Amino acid sequence: MGTQIIEIREALRQAIDEEMTRDSRVFILGEEVAEYNGAYKVTKGLLAKWGPERVIDTPICENGFAGLAIGAAQTGLRPIVEFMSWNFSFVAADQLISNACKAHYMSGGRFDVPIVFRGPNGAAAQVSCQHSHCVEAIYGNLPGFIVIAPGNAYDAKGLLKSAIRSNNPVIFLENELTYGEKMEIPTEEYLVPIGKAKVIREGKHVTLISYSRMLHFCREAADELAKKGISVEIIDLRTIKPLDIATVASSVRKTHRCVLVEEGHIFAGISAELGFQIMEHCFDDLDAPLVRVCQRETPMPYSKPLEKETLPNTQRILNALQEVLA
Amino acid sequence: MSKRAPYHFFEADPKKVLAELGKDGALEFLKKMLLIRNFEIRGEQAYQQGKVGGFYHSYMGQEAIQAGCIAAVGADHWFTTTYRCHALALLLGVTPNEAMAELYGRSTGNAMGRGGSMHLYADRLLGGLAIVGGHVPIATGAAFTIKYTKNKEMASFCFLGDGAVVQGAVHESLNLAALWNLPCIYVIENNQWGMGTAVSRAVCIEPIAENMAKAYGIKSYTVDGSNFFNCYALFDQVLNEVLQTGRPVLIEAITERFRGHSISDPGLYRSKDELASTMEHKDPITLFKNALIAQKILTEEQFKELDKEQREIVIAAMKFADESPWPDQMTLEQGVFAPEDK
Repeated sequence: MGTQIIEIREALRQAIDEEMTRDSRVFILGEEVAEYNGAYKVTKGLLAKWGPERVIDTPICENGFAGLAIGAAQTGLRPIVEFMSWNFSFVAADQLISNACKAHYMSGGRFDVPIVFRGPNGAAAQVSCQHSHCVEAIYGNLPGFIVIAPGNAYDAKGLLKSAIRSNNPVIFLENELTYGEKMEIPTEEYLVPIGKAKVIREGKHVTLISYSRMLHFCREAADELAKKGISVEIIDLRTIKPLDIATVASSVRKTHRCVLVEEGHIFAGISAELGFQIMEHCFDDLDAPLVRVCQRETPMPYSKPLEKETLPNTQRILNALQEVLA
Repeated sequence: MSKRAPYHFFEADPKKVLAELGKDGALEFLKKMLLIRNFEIRGEQAYQQGKVGGFYHSYMGQEAIQAGCIAAVGADHWFTTTYRCHALALLLGVTPNEAMAELYGRSTGNAMGRGGSMHLYADRLLGGLAIVGGHVPIATGAAFTIKYTKNKEMASFCFLGDGAVVQGAVHESLNLAALWNLPCIYVIENNQWGMGTAVSRAVCIEPIAENMAKAYGIKSYTVDGSNFFNCYALFDQVLNEVLQTGRPVLIEAITERFRGHSISDPGLYRSKDELASTMEHKDPITLFKNALIAQKILTEEQFKELDKEQREIVIAAMKFADESPWPDQMTLEQGVFAPEDK
């Protein structure tokens, strides 16, 4: 089997390109996706290959083009909507919240909404609070959405392909700071199934659960503890909703201790939900209370040291691991 | 106020419309308007009896607009409307039984009891959507699909209220449809009131469509929404134009709802005398009936018979709804997601 070493942005581009090849109903629209080749170059070359009917630059009107895409999905197409930043999805919140995730149930199953909303989520580098919000807890709260947050190029490609083939609305969360991260992945076509978490490092003393960019800090913290003979099991959720609680629970039943790391805010976040489900499934298996490492309860500050301090980092994760291991 | 300019009403020759529709066609749509009227009257009664929950937005007084539209263009297009959706659903083939059962929240309802009064659907009716203005991008998306699939036979029809025209979603949709040449026909049903706020207190221009369309470089029309013939002829003409040009069109139908915004609205903000006068002089069913009687297509007795027939259909629908089972609670969590294996 052939392999290729590619960046996450190229993995995403390949997923879109392959699915556009496979299904003529698939098209992509968003701000600067076509002639500009994408604000983060995920769609580079797609206009030249597919033309302006299927790679479509929109005006700056997220509510309008997100709603248009939902209407197109309900009437037989399979749109991919790029948000230049997930923060801009708030302008389209009514379309996502009142239409995309509700149309199927509300219509008694008459209409499907096969659509992918994708783009960079969470903090980038010093873009302050209106460009740094993590949206998974917000959209994860709405029944009807699938929420995916891949952490590497292999998963980014395989999960985006599965998302495009899904008959349901998918919130697909990328990260601006990791678009350039490389990985060796197959050249042959493959899919990664939605709803399956992955143990990315086996360990026996404590379970560390996260997704997306925060996994880097998790690995660093685990490396540190490994030096002291403590083995940390790391789980990459990959899909946030539906949550693969089975993979999580079997790890926690093995290690009896668990730390949850989330880039987003602590209050009513993904870790709050995940932690509660661990309590429901593993109460008798836990030897220590769960500990969360999340973004502190501040809007994102601009200044570098403040930004660093409000986000989870390796030291905060180490502290948390030591707390549950004590 | 200087911003108020005169309307330019689209006028049609009723005789020409009748010649096109034929006697049977005209009577068929009179019957449909009577079905809508009886449905709304009885539906409100059922609401008062506690059989129907939630909100109830009656289409009474506005029947000629959507009836004229469907009479002219048929049901094989995409349609999207507001929470005031019973009439369009009935016109697009939803049976009175399934519509009433939906209002009653029963398993036999049009949306399995999940949508209720504000969310009715048909194969080509995308809803019944209840966020003011929020359905307009959806309708625009249906027009996008028509263009994307190179379908030259269909248009997307979007009904919205005067209250919605100040929503950003509406303006974003008009810009996209005009920019991308989408075959979308936007119909502002100006019933004079956005809930209890008079249109003149909410919208800075008048006429609405004639002014707004200019800003988007698209065609507009104003029509008397109480006149079936004018509505029919306008929709017939506009569909042909849109299929030919692929450009969106903005229509303003002037009407007045006979009821409050919803059933819980006593309508204290408008004069009872004016409303009584509107109901007397601008009732679309009376106007249609009188025209058909004048053309000797109908007699007063026949009209009463038709009305009775439709009333009985609606009463039977209420019985059907009342006797229908409630949704099985086991089904509550089913269908949140579409099946992945189809």
